[in-house]
Amino acid sequence: MSQSLTSLQDEWESVDAEYKQLQERHTMYLHKLEEISKLQNSCSASITSQRRRLKEMHSSLVDKTGTSDREAEALDEIKSKIKVHLNTFSEMEAYLPKKNGLYLSLVLGNVNVTLLNKQSKFAYKDEYEKFKLCTMAVLLLISFICYFFVAYRFLDAILNFLLLWYYCTLTVRESILISNGSRIKGWWVFHHYISAFLSGVILTWPDGDFYKMFRNQFLAYSFYQSFVQCLQCYYQSGCLYRLRALGERHNMDLTVEGFQSWMWKGLTFLLPFLFFGHFWQLYNSLCLFRMAQLPEYKEWQVLMCGLCFFILFLGNFFTTLAVFLRKLVSQKPKSL
Amino acid sequence: MSKFQAEWQEMEEEYQQLQETHKLYRQKLEELTSLQTTCSSVINKQRKSLKDLRHSLSRSGKTCDENDLKLITDIRSQIKEKENVFFDMEAYLPKRNGLYLNLVLGNVNVTLLSNQAKFAYKDEYEKFKLYMTIILMFGAITCLFFLNYRVTDEIFNFLLVWYYCTLTIRESILMSNGSRIKGWWVSHHYVSTFLSGVMLTWPEGPMYQRFRSQFLAFSIYQSFLQFLQYYYQSGCLYRLRALGERSQLDLTVEGFQSWMWRGLTFLLPFLFFGHFWQLYNSVSLFRLAGRDDCKEWQVFMLALTFLVLFLGNFLTTVKVVHQKFQKNKEKMQKKD
Repeated sequence: MSQSLTSLQDEWESVDAEYKQLQERHTMYLHKLEEISKLQNSCSASITSQRRRLKEMHSSLVDKTGTSDREAEALDEIKSKIKVHLNTFSEMEAYLPKKNGLYLSLVLGNVNVTLLNKQSKFAYKDEYEKFKLCTMAVLLLISFICYFFVAYRFLDAILNFLLLWYYCTLTVRESILISNGSRIKGWWVFHHYISAFLSGVILTWPDGDFYKMFRNQFLAYSFYQSFVQCLQCYYQSGCLYRLRALGERHNMDLTVEGFQSWMWKGLTFLLPFLFFGHFWQLYNSLCLFRMAQLPEYKEWQVLMCGLCFFILFLGNFFTTLAVFLRKLVSQKPKSL
Repeated sequence: MSKFQAEWQEMEEEYQQLQETHKLYRQKLEELTSLQTTCSSVINKQRKSLKDLRHSLSRSGKTCDENDLKLITDIRSQIKEKENVFFDMEAYLPKRNGLYLNLVLGNVNVTLLSNQAKFAYKDEYEKFKLYMTIILMFGAITCLFFLNYRVTDEIFNFLLVWYYCTLTIRESILMSNGSRIKGWWVSHHYVSTFLSGVMLTWPEGPMYQRFRSQFLAFSIYQSFLQFLQYYYQSGCLYRLRALGERSQLDLTVEGFQSWMWRGLTFLLPFLFFGHFWQLYNSVSLFRLAGRDDCKEWQVFMLALTFLVLFLGNFLTTVKVVHQKFQKNKEKMQKKD
């Protein structure tokens, strides 16, 4: 008996020795954490104060042209150096913790969401793309089932909750990506908020005649939408991969639900699918507006959904059209 | 002009200094990252060794004499202590997020790396709960006494869903940072989210009208109670933390915990009244579901959910009361 116990005791002592080593290492780690935290604070403070002074200097230099050629040259040099410095500050800040914007503050609080090295930023972006693709596939399946097999309001409600949750989660993840240097802009962020709102309104729509009139159209539209977005994710990520390897796009560029300028290189075939989806949104909104004019109309959801679909159509269509027109304009001088 | 150049020189020097500090920072950040990886892997290895040791201990424990038994119990308690220390150490190391946080946020690290940051985050969480509780109370009062529309009810329900979802996210982050919130007090937020979600989909109708006032009155009482809890618990926790008897990261909860016997016993009747109101809600809903003119699935689902909430809340609180009685009994026995 004691023999096995002595071997146990030996084992225990070796584990204990390792444990003491761990404690020392952890204390050293906590010290280093404090050092780093001080460095972060001093870097951030220095960047803020320098940025302020540079902006003041720039605004006082803007109107000056100098009394001689040499002076003018010196002034121009200073102005361009100011710009370089300001850009460097933005790059430095991608590696320093910062306060969250309003939306992230509301949802997460003040936890820092800055990923502190390039690989984690890229890995996070990759994960975001996978999340979009997987959830879209699930939504595709559920809308298929709801359309062809099961006709219960309960299952519809689950689909709507999933849509709502999906768009809310997208907005959170995109805010984190923007905080990490991704350049997603304008409509492509805002339209997720509108889609979340739309899913919320449909969720509250009671099961009546109007709902039944619109249901199949909405499910077919969701199915098509999920399908197009899967296509977009798949082809866009391949294209972005190629362009990044050629150094023509930034590492933190994302796949979006629309058409962007870099997509002319090989993804033009997606345009008709996209325009068809936009016009389906217009058709949804027109049907809903027509329903709102029927004498039995009493549900506010009809008009609200009609409005949302209309805004979605306008935003999507005109943003895509802008890309299209820009391309035409840039090609015109070549044909002359 | 020369004034500008002098100022510019000064800024260039500051800029060079900043670049050096930033370079040093990036270097130290890399060292820190490798230290973090080492610490995490050592902790994992130790955990595994301790698990193996525990197995061997339980095997020898069956066949040994009294002295050996004492040694074994001693080692067992030291193992438990070490596991607690590992939990505390990991509160300062970045780690993979759990399933829930991974789904919502992705792989962004939510570990706050300094005590002040953790405490500030906890403070912020408490304030968020307080403000939202007050807003929800006013919302429920408005819906019950002033505005009797389904739309305002929907807005109130959406606010509830959003509030409970955000609580679950923030609590997951707090747990990742070393807070020891356990079991029912976390799950019951998920159940409440589900409840509010189902309320959201309940269409306007005679059943809904019958339950509406009861639900709104219950929400007002609930918010009032949570406000009381927050107010008195945070004062008590502050006192206990100053005495060193509670951890910095202990939170106010919506129930009764063991440390609350020191001065907050008066809250118990209020809590039990709230629990029994949940039981009453559940019974009313079961009765509504049994009527002939009830055809909405929400009624039965809500009845079940309120029952689950009642059971969880009531039994968890009774357990705390029971433990206190046991302790008092032991004390009396010791005196005798």
